[in-house]
Amino acid sequence: MHVWRKLRFCLSIGMVHLFCLPALLAGCSSSNRIDGFFYCRLNANPSTLDPALITDVAGASVAAKLFNGLVRLNDNMSVSPDIAERWQISGDGLRYIFFLRRQVRFSNDREVRARDFKASFERVLNPRTKSPNVWIFDKVEGAEAYRKGLAGDVAGFLVIDDYTFGIKLKSPFSPFLSILTTTPAYVVPADELSRSGNDFLTSASGAGGTGPFRLKSWMPDRELVLERKENYFDGRAKISGIVYKMIPEDLTAVTEFELGNLDVISLPAQAYSKFRNDKKWSSRIISIKGLNTYYLGMNTSRPPFDNVKTREAVACAIDTKKILRTFYENRGRPAAGPVPDLLRRWEINPDLNNIYIFDPQKSGEIIKSEGLSGMRVSLYITADQDVVDLAEIIQSYLSKAGIEVVIRQLEWNAFKEAVNRGEPDLFWLSWWADYPDPEDFLFPLFHSSNIGPAGNKTRYCNKAVDELIERGQFSLNKRDRNRYYKQAEELIIKDVPWVSFWHKTDFLIKQPWVKEYKVYPIYTMDKGTEIILGSAKT
Amino acid sequence: MITRYIIKKLILLVPLLLGITFVSFALLKALPGDIALSLAGERADQETIESIRKELGADKGVLNQYAGYLNMLAHGDFGRSYYTNRDVLTDITLKFPNTMELAFAAMALAIPLGIIMGYAAAYKSGGPAEKIIDGLSLAGLSLPVFWSAIIIMIIFSLWLRLFPPSGTGNIRFLILPACTLSIPAAATLVRVTRTAVADVLGMPFITTAIAKGLPLRRIHIHHVLKNAIIPVVTIIGLDFGSYLNGAVVTETIFGWDGVGRFTMEGIIRRDYPVIMGCIIAGTVVFVIVNLFIDVLYHYLDPRIRLHGKER
Repeated sequence: MHVWRKLRFCLSIGMVHLFCLPALLAGCSSSNRIDGFFYCRLNANPSTLDPALITDVAGASVAAKLFNGLVRLNDNMSVSPDIAERWQISGDGLRYIFFLRRQVRFSNDREVRARDFKASFERVLNPRTKSPNVWIFDKVEGAEAYRKGLAGDVAGFLVIDDYTFGIKLKSPFSPFLSILTTTPAYVVPADELSRSGNDFLTSASGAGGTGPFRLKSWMPDRELVLERKENYFDGRAKISGIVYKMIPEDLTAVTEFELGNLDVISLPAQAYSKFRNDKKWSSRIISIKGLNTYYLGMNTSRPPFDNVKTREAVACAIDTKKILRTFYENRGRPAAGPVPDLLRRWEINPDLNNIYIFDPQKSGEIIKSEGLSGMRVSLYITADQDVVDLAEIIQSYLSKAGIEVVIRQLEWNAFKEAVNRGEPDLFWLSWWADYPDPEDFLFPLFHSSNIGPAGNKTRYCNKAVDELIERGQFSLNKRDRNRYYKQAEELIIKDVPWVSFWHKTDFLIKQPWVKEYKVYPIYTMDKGTEIILGSAKT
Repeated sequence: MITRYIIKKLILLVPLLLGITFVSFALLKALPGDIALSLAGERADQETIESIRKELGADKGVLNQYAGYLNMLAHGDFGRSYYTNRDVLTDITLKFPNTMELAFAAMALAIPLGIIMGYAAAYKSGGPAEKIIDGLSLAGLSLPVFWSAIIIMIIFSLWLRLFPPSGTGNIRFLILPACTLSIPAAATLVRVTRTAVADVLGMPFITTAIAKGLPLRRIHIHHVLKNAIIPVVTIIGLDFGSYLNGAVVTETIFGWDGVGRFTMEGIIRRDYPVIMGCIIAGTVVFVIVNLFIDVLYHYLDPRIRLHGKER
C-alpha cells in the first residue's frame, strides 16, 4: 500500500502540473500586435511575390500593395490612371501611348521610367522567366518572335522618351486596357533585377515595388509583414502596415478573429450562419459580389451531351434557385448566363430564361422522347466537402429525371487533367474574372480555340459564337461590343453547354475598431490605402 | 560492439533509402494528374504546358527522371519547390526544429502520464481506478486528433483565453498542439504499460522478491518496471519517430510551422520535390530514432544482444 500511495502522489503531482501550467502561463498570453498595423489572414503562403510569376490569389493580393501598373481599376471597375496619368489610343485601336507620372519611385527611391515598363513586360514574355502569364501580352506586336528567340526585344513595346511608353498591337483588342490592370503587368525595377536577380523583388532587403507598402519581413508559412511607404505617389496609407498571418485552417482563423487577433476575415461557409444570427456580429458582416460563375459543365463533344436536347433536360431537371436558397444559404446571386451580373450591360432575351427554369416534367419528357431513360453519366468533382454535398444534390435531381449519375471525386490535379482531356460527362467548376470584361468569360470558356486547358472545358464549338466573340474583341465601340457579347451569350444560353448556377457573393467580417475597410470584387483593386483603424487598435 | 552495430545500421540506410525513394517516386509518377497544368495557370496554351513539362523533365521516362533525381541527391541537392522555388532541403532544415520541439513536448507530457496511469491501472487491477484509467485511455485512443484539437482550442484559447490558437514561437504557442498530440500517445502508453506491468506482476520472481521481504519500492522500480519497460520503450520510439515526421493534422490546425504541414501542403499541390524531400528526411529520422531505441534496449535489458550472437 505504501508504494500505491507514492504512485498516487506522483499522479496527483502530474495532474496538478497539467492543469496549473495553463494558469501559470496565462500571464504571458497577451496579444503581440504591432500598433497601427492591420491584421488579416492568408490561408496559404504566397508562392511568390514576383508579379511575372504569380498565379495564386494570395500572392496577387499582396502584390497589389507592393506594385503598380500603367493603369488600375477604380471603384466602378473602370480603367483609371495608375502610373500612367493619361493615355491615347489610335483610331485603329492598334497603338496605345501612355504618359507616365513624374516622381513615381521604387522602394529604393529610383524614379520609374518608360524603359522599366518595357523591361518588365519583356521579362514576362522571356522564356527564361518561365512566366505562366505570357497570355496577357500575346496580342502585342513582336511578342511571339521574342518568345521564340527570333528578336532581341519586343517590337511592340516602345520607349518614346523617359516618361512616354507605347504599346503596339497586332490587331485591335478591346479588353487590352483591362488586361493591363492585372498583376503580371506591374512594373518592376529592371536595372536592379538585372544586377541582383529576382530575389530583389521577394526579399525584404530588396522589395522594390512602387506600391503604397514595402515588404518588411516574410517568414514563409508564418507571417508576412508590409510597412507603409511614406512617399507613395498616390497618397500615403492611413495604417502603418499590414500583417498577414498564414492560417491554413478556417476554424482556427475564426478563433483568432474572435480573440481580436485578426481585424478582418473572410467568413468560411461553416461560420456564416453563426455570425449572421449573432446580433453582436451581424452588423459587421460585409458582403461583396464576386465576379465569378459557378457551373455544371457538360461535355458537348460526345454522347449523350453532344445533343442539345439532353443538355436542356439536365438544365430543367435541377432547381438551382432552391439549391442557392437552401444549401448555399443565399451566398450568391442566381446566374442567368455565364457572364456575371456585374459585367452584363445588356438584358437577356426573356424567352431564353425559360431554359433554366426548374421543370422536372419537361426534363422527363425530353429524356423519354430522346430514348435516354436510365442513362448513366459521370460527374467529376474535386474533394472539397461542400462540392461533395452539392454533387449529391445534383445527383438526386437528375435521378428523378431518369439520369443515373456516378460521382467521381478526384484530387485537384487529377480532376483538372481529366476535365481537360474531356473524360467526364459532367463536371463542377467555377470561373473567376482576371479583369472586369465580359470577354474574360466568353473567350476563354466558349471560343473553340480554347478547348481543354485554356478554359473551354465543355469542348463547346459554335462558329457563330466564335465569330461574335472575335468581333467583340476587335470592336472599339462599347455599344457594338456589348451587342456582340449579348448575341454570343444568348447563343451560348440556347446551346446550354453548361448550367449556370450562381455568382458567388463573398462575406467578410470586421472588428468594431476597423473604421474604414473596403472590399473589392477583384483583388488587384485593393491597395490597402483606405483602411482606417479606430483608436482601440491604432 | 555498439559502434559496429550503429555503423552497420547506418550503412543499411543507403539501400533502404534507395528502395524508399524508388517506390515513392514510382507511386507519385503513377498518380493521375499533371503538375504542369497546375503550374501553367488557368489560361495556358498547349505550348506553355509542354515547355513546363520539358522544364520539369516530365517529358522523359520515369526511370530517366528517377536517375536524374538520384544524381541530384548524390550531390546533396533535394531540388527546389515547383511553386515557391525555394530549396527543399533548406525548408526542411528550417521546419524540422519546430517539429522536433513539438514532438519532444508531446512526449514529455505523454510519457510520465501514460506510464504512471498504466502502472496504477495494473497495480490496482479490478478496482475502480483501473476502470477509470481504462475508460480514459480508450477515450484518448478513440478521439480523432482533429476533433480533440478543435475542442482544446475552443476551451483554452477561446473560452479561457490562456493560449494563442495558432502560430509558431515560444512555449505559449507550443502548449496546445503538444497537449493535443500527447493524448493518443499517452493513451497508447497507458494500455501497453498496464499489460506489461500486469504480466510482470504475475511472475514467480516477483512473488519470491515479496517473500524475501525486499522493500516494495525496490521491487516496483528494479524488478517490475525494469522488466516491463521494453514494450513501453518500443511504443515511445514508434510514436516519437512518427511525431518527428510531422503531425500533419495538429500542425495544420494550430498553424505550427513544421514538417508535417509542409509535407501536407506539398501533397495537396503535388509538389514532387517537397514530397520526396520529406519522405527521405522522414526515413532518416525514423531509422535514427529506432537505432537509438535498439541501443537503449541493450542498456535496459542486457539479455538483448545487438549483434545477434549468443554470449
